[in-house]
Amino acid sequence: MLVPRKYHSLIVAAVLLILSLGFLSYSAVRLSETGFLRKTVLEVAAPIENVVNTSLKGLHDVWKRYLFLVGLEDENRRLRNQNAALGEQLNLYREGHIEGMRLRKLLNLAERLPNRAVAARVVDRSRTSLFKMILIDRGTADGLRVGLPVLSEQGVVGRIIETAWHASQVLLLIDENSNIDALIQRSRAQGILQGAGAAGCNLKYISRVEEVRVGDEILTSGMAGVFPKGLLLGVVTGATRGGENLFQKVDVAPAVDFGKVEEVIVLISDEKVDK
Amino acid sequence: MIYLLILPLLLLLVIVQITILDLLSFGWIGMEISLIVVIYAGFHLDALRGGILSLMLGFFMDCLTSAIFGLYMFLYVLIFFLSMVVADRVYAGRPFLIAFFAGLCTLLEGLVILLLNRFVLGVDVFYTILKIFIPQAVVVGLLSPLIFGLFQRFEGFLHAEVRRPAQRI
Repeated sequence: MLVPRKYHSLIVAAVLLILSLGFLSYSAVRLSETGFLRKTVLEVAAPIENVVNTSLKGLHDVWKRYLFLVGLEDENRRLRNQNAALGEQLNLYREGHIEGMRLRKLLNLAERLPNRAVAARVVDRSRTSLFKMILIDRGTADGLRVGLPVLSEQGVVGRIIETAWHASQVLLLIDENSNIDALIQRSRAQGILQGAGAAGCNLKYISRVEEVRVGDEILTSGMAGVFPKGLLLGVVTGATRGGENLFQKVDVAPAVDFGKVEEVIVLISDEKVDK
Repeated sequence: MIYLLILPLLLLLVIVQITILDLLSFGWIGMEISLIVVIYAGFHLDALRGGILSLMLGFFMDCLTSAIFGLYMFLYVLIFFLSMVVADRVYAGRPFLIAFFAGLCTLLEGLVILLLNRFVLGVDVFYTILKIFIPQAVVVGLLSPLIFGLFQRFEGFLHAEVRRPAQRI
């Protein structure tokens, strides 16, 4: 070797540095065409870069989608909760609206009547008991007493048979113990409407010569002084003249659907008139 | 001969560096693993093999990332021989020293790029020192001891591969 071994590194360094500096100076001063080696490197690298970038993009998309789905699940849960809350709120508003409508009808009814009326809410109803009764949330503290008539916006409900300070029992007109003076609106024939349990009511003491039609409305006659005259009790569903009986059997469907009564008014005798 | 097989790996390293690592760093600071490879070569290889490896790595970097052809070739060869000089004078097994030196080399690289931009291209980008090169020097400094460890294992593997046929003979 012409050059001593200890200078090998120095020579290699000098050659490589001069070479690289030459490239650098040349390309810094003038733009040159891309050389064969550079083209080869770019040609080789481009597809690899493409594959890597495509894979990365795929991973990125999967990750974004995952995050999106996680967000979607949270949002879905939140919206479900919100939906449930809103549904509950809507039900409350709907209930309020329906109650308002019912109370308005009751109020209209109360205003038409000469008696003072006390509105009450039905708090319980006897379903299997021998007696057909409901419990209302008003009592003697509100001026209620035994015998007072109870109405709903549909018609007569019954009358009070027991009172406490803040609650009263109402005997429904379908109870077998209920007897109310009544008349057929069309023919003015008078009788007594007696409860018949699940079957509804029967209008008794209607002469067999009276013409009774299905659909005739039965009203209170006001005779006994308990119920004001002209309140709707029910509608005739059938009439039979059996054998040699003096009276015919008239079946009446009550005007009130007792299973759905929620609010009632209790008529307090004459007080409104006195005032 | 085995070192020729490293060339495709070097190209792959540069590609990974400019795709995956660039993505990991959110495009803010480049994780310049190729610079750590050059420093490692300076500490462990002889002048000819290490110099050519640095030149090739710089060539790949120039082809794929640089707007000025020859910039990285010059920088990597310069850093390689600087590393050789340092390796002759200090014990290169200490992680702190490796980290410190790798950080310094990153700053040197940045400085050369800035000076080249300023005096050759007439572009003043000195504001990037604080924003890019100092954080990059910190990142490269922190990564270098780890990557040195990985390269030592890889080199051990290569030597084993080289030795095996000889043992058979």
